[in-house]
Amino acid sequence: MSYVVPHNSVKQYFGALFDAVRTTVVGMWITFRYVWGVKTVSIEYPEVREVLPERARMRLFNDAQNCISCTQCAMACPVDCIYIASEKMPEGSEVKKTSNGQSIRLHLTQFTIDTALCCYCGLCTTVCPTECLTHSHDYEFAQYTVDGMKYDYLAPDVRAWRDRIVKT
Amino acid sequence: MMNKWDIPGSVEKPTVNKDTETLRSDLLTLNMGPQHPATHGVLRVEIKTDSEVVAAAIPHLGYLHRCMEKHCENLDYRGIIPFVDRLDYLASMSMEWTYVAAVEKMLGTEVPRRAELLRIMTVELQRIASHLMAFGTYALDLGAFTPFLYAFDEREKILRLFEEVSGARLLYNYIWIGGVWNDWDDAQLTRVSEFLDAFEPETRKYHTLVSTNKIFIERTANVGVVSVQDCLDYGATGPVLRGSGFKWDLRKNQPYGLYSEFDFDVQVGDGEHGVVGDCWNRYIVRMREVGESIKIIRQVLEKLEPGSIMGKVPKIIKLPKGEVYMRQECPRGELGIHLISEGTDSKEPYRLKVKSPCFTHTSMLPLMAPGQMVADFVATIGSIDIVLGEVDR
Repeated sequence: MSYVVPHNSVKQYFGALFDAVRTTVVGMWITFRYVWGVKTVSIEYPEVREVLPERARMRLFNDAQNCISCTQCAMACPVDCIYIASEKMPEGSEVKKTSNGQSIRLHLTQFTIDTALCCYCGLCTTVCPTECLTHSHDYEFAQYTVDGMKYDYLAPDVRAWRDRIVKT
Repeated sequence: MMNKWDIPGSVEKPTVNKDTETLRSDLLTLNMGPQHPATHGVLRVEIKTDSEVVAAAIPHLGYLHRCMEKHCENLDYRGIIPFVDRLDYLASMSMEWTYVAAVEKMLGTEVPRRAELLRIMTVELQRIASHLMAFGTYALDLGAFTPFLYAFDEREKILRLFEEVSGARLLYNYIWIGGVWNDWDDAQLTRVSEFLDAFEPETRKYHTLVSTNKIFIERTANVGVVSVQDCLDYGATGPVLRGSGFKWDLRKNQPYGLYSEFDFDVQVGDGEHGVVGDCWNRYIVRMREVGESIKIIRQVLEKLEPGSIMGKVPKIIKLPKGEVYMRQECPRGELGIHLISEGTDSKEPYRLKVKSPCFTHTSMLPLMAPGQMVADFVATIGSIDIVLGEVDR
């Protein structure tokens, strides 16, 4: 196993040397051909952005207007990063409907997702009956504190960044 | 004082000079890793060196331990899939399929034919991507930077396809219990076919650039030799076993899925350079397996017919009482999943044990290392191609 290159004769020695130079030059020629005619594959990120595929799983977004507080997403989540709280609708109030016709029987009081815990597996979006919980295409949401990663989807300013992150 | 040659597995004490024998000379302890660029992740190898020669190597594990097996005991069967993704994060599709096949075997689910074919296609594409990664980083270990970039260029195309079809680039959660998540449309399948056509000339380029390079051959041939008997004793599988000349591939020997329908060869190390079982043979087995994967994917594309991609699976999966051991041929060897279920009143597994091929291969390092140069030891670590996510779990 020791590192011994057999050089029995001068001819063999120079033969090995020649082989090393020849095969390296052949390899370098392949690399050299990349000078012309090969399209650059890298993109300059902050200026040029790649268009993500339609199914790309980035930050979660919940359209709270369509949420029926069924908590199926929280149960499907393998890392338990979705916090949902709801209470009964007050007596006699009119029953709201979601966009696909299901009636909202519970009043959603909290819908928070801890994106620092989220593993972006997509299991919560597949169980959602009203399809209000979706993966958006927003991947730039770094924060200075871990607490800032908890996104409240009932917050008053949610509309402000909704347009930025919801899939069109 | 402990004799420096008392370390198990170290080479025999050479007798050089009677005068210097009596002088004390300690071995130098050198820590390779966990932040060493050539250890592929967070592997720490404590090596005892006698000047430039490695006398012993002791791998230390646990830097990436995430308690995955215990954690899975508190998850439902669908929720475990994202966790098995994180075992071998370079070959997530293979990991998913092994776990899912174990659950399906207990559940008795019938998987639609299209889903089975799509599984084979994704897993073989993943095998190409994983072997490209092994090729690129191995060349990087030995000092060649350019092949790494070429390999990543091609790997990127595969990952892009996976991203389009599953939504993620690395941790897919694509193979589900009963089938697959999303279907590939015709445009994507055409792109797979085009990719294969463009990729075959690329593999020849890799061989010209690296495999036939005299410097590369000198660095890898006759280095880190493992005999077939040692491989069998340690339980090595995958390219390490085949590189030692033992023809064993679960896809051929114990076909699972629809692999029995496919025509491909099992590549073994033939000792074209060096001796059978050295780094060069392990490397070339991987590179030739890429060609076999291309063959399989071409056959899948011919066989694909429209149909359902999801079998009948209950909404809440509860497995009957019993246990199952499922093993499949992953890019790095045989992954085994031992799943024990308590009974139908539990949504969670009682125990999920993962038999990792990389763990076996890491434990072979003390066998391979003694007597090597330090630089050759780097080549040896690269040639067994370990992923620490799978070793530590």
